[in-house]
Amino acid sequence: MVKTIIRIIKSFTLWELFAGLLLTGKYFWKRKFTVQFPEEKTPVSPRFRGLHALRRYPNGEERCIACKLCEAVCPALAITIDSEQRADGSRRTKSYEIDLFKCIYCGMCEEACPVDSIVLTDMSHYHIAERGENILTKEKLLAIGDKYEEQIAAAREEEGRYR
Amino acid sequence: MAKIEIDGKEVETLQGETIIQAADRIGAYIPRFCYHHKLSIAGNCRMCLVEVEKAPKALPACATPVAEGMKVFTKTAKAMEAQKAVMEFLLINHPLDCPICDQGGQCELQDLSMGFGADTSGFIEIKRAVPNPDLGPLIATDMTRCIHCTRCVRFEEEIAGQRELGAMFRGEHMEITTYVKHTVKSELSGNAIDVCPVGALTSKPFRFKARAWELTQTGSIAPHDCLGSNINLGTLRQELLRVTPRENEAINEIWLADRDRFSYVGVHSSERVLLPMIKKNGEWQKVSWQQAFEVALESLQKVLNKSGAESFGALVSPSATCEEHYLLQAFMRGIGSNNIDHRLRQQDFSDQQAAPLMPTLGVNINDIPLQNAILLIGSNIQKDQPIAGLKVRQATLKGTKVFAVNQLDYHFNFKVAEKLIVKPKQMVVALASIAKALSILTNQDHAAKTLFADVVVSAEAKAIAEQLCAAEKATILFGLQACNHSQAGLLRQLAALIAELSGKTLGFLSEGSNAQGAWLAGCVPHRRAGGQLLIKPGLNAAEMFQQQLAAYLLLGIEPELDCADSTQALTALKQAECVIALTAFVTDRMKEYATVILPIATFGETSGTFINITGEWQSFSGVVSPQGEARPAWKVLRVLGNVFQLEGFNYVASEEVLEQLRQIAATKVFSVKKNPLATFAIGPVDDNHLQRITEVPIYSIDSLVRQSEPLQVMQQNEKLTALRVNKHTAEKLHLKAKQMVTVKQVGSLTMPVEIDERVPAGCVLIMGGIKETVPLGAAQGLVEVLG
Repeated sequence: MVKTIIRIIKSFTLWELFAGLLLTGKYFWKRKFTVQFPEEKTPVSPRFRGLHALRRYPNGEERCIACKLCEAVCPALAITIDSEQRADGSRRTKSYEIDLFKCIYCGMCEEACPVDSIVLTDMSHYHIAERGENILTKEKLLAIGDKYEEQIAAAREEEGRYR
Repeated sequence: MAKIEIDGKEVETLQGETIIQAADRIGAYIPRFCYHHKLSIAGNCRMCLVEVEKAPKALPACATPVAEGMKVFTKTAKAMEAQKAVMEFLLINHPLDCPICDQGGQCELQDLSMGFGADTSGFIEIKRAVPNPDLGPLIATDMTRCIHCTRCVRFEEEIAGQRELGAMFRGEHMEITTYVKHTVKSELSGNAIDVCPVGALTSKPFRFKARAWELTQTGSIAPHDCLGSNINLGTLRQELLRVTPRENEAINEIWLADRDRFSYVGVHSSERVLLPMIKKNGEWQKVSWQQAFEVALESLQKVLNKSGAESFGALVSPSATCEEHYLLQAFMRGIGSNNIDHRLRQQDFSDQQAAPLMPTLGVNINDIPLQNAILLIGSNIQKDQPIAGLKVRQATLKGTKVFAVNQLDYHFNFKVAEKLIVKPKQMVVALASIAKALSILTNQDHAAKTLFADVVVSAEAKAIAEQLCAAEKATILFGLQACNHSQAGLLRQLAALIAELSGKTLGFLSEGSNAQGAWLAGCVPHRRAGGQLLIKPGLNAAEMFQQQLAAYLLLGIEPELDCADSTQALTALKQAECVIALTAFVTDRMKEYATVILPIATFGETSGTFINITGEWQSFSGVVSPQGEARPAWKVLRVLGNVFQLEGFNYVASEEVLEQLRQIAATKVFSVKKNPLATFAIGPVDDNHLQRITEVPIYSIDSLVRQSEPLQVMQQNEKLTALRVNKHTAEKLHLKAKQMVTVKQVGSLTMPVEIDERVPAGCVLIMGGIKETVPLGAAQGLVEVLG
């Protein structure tokens, strides 16, 4: 009986509506945490595993020596490497391809690399519009490395303490 | 024998065994680097240190002979500590560059450092670096990685028989290198790559191509000599990248000739035919298989209608598979021609009716080292069949006497007790004098006694005869030079007579990898498959070119290089109306004479069977797809049979063809009449003319080898295009070394003179099987030298 009366009073005084508006009002005055993507970005951990890159030494020489350890360790078989002897006698890759559809971003390739050549950048904003774009070739990977070298180096620097 | 205990397990040991051998037999693992079961014991790496009861220090298991009651412990703290310490020492100067090392993944040092290495080293000083000697086009060197186990040195010295590598300097400065900047020339040098436990010696053609772990290994059979060495083919993503030996104690043990190991490079040659080609109005056109078969049918049918099947001949490589041999002869006989042959370099076919079903060695390959005496007749066994050469060498090391009757004084890597080096025309006399000596010696009332009335027995012949007779076990090996001799039939009869008189076995060494299969499958003009005699034999290889047929079918050969008479072959082919060439490689000369070129698969791309010299049938499968539009030759022949609407060409797999051949071989009873020597006369001695001797260099024997770039580089420095004479002949002709002279045979050719003491007086040695000497003509002939 009492319960019914309270319910009727709540219904006619729009109690629930005001309670809801109160919550809205509380957040209306609070500090906002919406990130205005793409103008704004959320902070990313230096351990984040995003798009792959191949790095170079400061003198411009590519780091990769075609040891194929990343290819061997890759659990998704996403990496395909062809190696050769370059004209100067050094061991280099003829082709280095990563299939982004196969890759599971586990970062084992980076762990296996003896020369810190293959790395995962913090880039996560990319898309694949055409068939075939999912294959990252050696040229693309080196270009990504060149573009983000600063970030890559900084992240490795920071993480170096824990390795 | 002595009973010892290894890790608590009792072992019955053999006389003279060391601990490591006993441990290997029972599967107790002892780490090692310098110890190799096929090489002598060096005991210099110290990795195999084990604890022995009552011994104050750990002992090297490889160099410690077993003694009664010895108690060995391989896993105790003392042994492990010693092994770990040695490992640390070995890694002091090792660069640890595994990521760029081709040995990575198959490296004994890598494996053992996982088991016995520490993750840090007490050594903080600078590591040493060692310059890399150039060992030629086959072996890549990274000597900084070397741990001085000296396996390669011992291999070269003990197995290959050529002291080409050695250790220079002492202690930390020790280096493995060649003696004064020589390259390694041994025909077995590639095995040094296999015995090297680290990445100091690696394969140059394979360098940086792939990792050991990603290669797919498939067993196969080596395609270049009659022993049929067992091999593994390493493939990655449909590409043949490596050939390594497969252990077979009965044939090649763990070794492999360089020719078999590195010929695979030829598979990727730029001269591969990728599409069928036809000649139209003098221009070569690439066409579809359908069109190519149509043209082949049309042009061949025209010839057959005009001049009959007798004017059509087929020549096939002795290295083709049994299936190909069988189908080719079925095709030829289906068309109505018996003109088919695989004996391309032979000149004398007079005794073919009496030939056995197929040439065989007479003894097992493994029995060669057990012989007490070996007589080589016209054989350069070391270069022609390197693995057989290795066995002969093993024999000589055990004290076997080797005798040679040759037309060239080969520098063998084994000791030859007695040799008769004679002019080609004198080969028969040399053998006759041995036979005569034998008949006198054994005092047999044999026809031979009267046969050789005019023959003078030389001191060497007498010595050979005596020692051959005295030997408990002996074998006579009839080699390729004798087989391709212009009096081969007579030589064979004489060899058989020598075998009969001395009571020893006679064995033949044959050309290519499957001459046995060719004989059995009926790729000879006088016999069908299974050896069934034909009443009217066809033309043999030499006659086919002499009689200039109207049409030819070539399977896997370049006749100007693979046949006895290069110029005669070229003239015959050029005048022919139709030449159908089934080939994997196309050369400019082939484009001159061929009408249709059908691309066939080569080594590693086709399934098939080889029968080796001991009669072993060894099948193998294709491991990569043929390049371009090329197809396995057996398939091409099968379709060719269909195109000509012949009966029984409906095979689906090569195994079906093989099954058919097996059935024929099993059911057909083979018998031949004996063909003993009836008459013998010494021919007139011709001292006024220069006699040409031809040798086919080891890396020119077939088209695959000729296409293999590293092997060709190997013989580039050998000065192949040269007129070789001995000092005596050179003086007589007023020739000086390096002087350019014009040599006239059928055609003429200008080449430098080389002084070569292997050549008998009155003879010149000119290489065959190479492009440069094609214009000269027949392998045995008279030449003129114009200053």
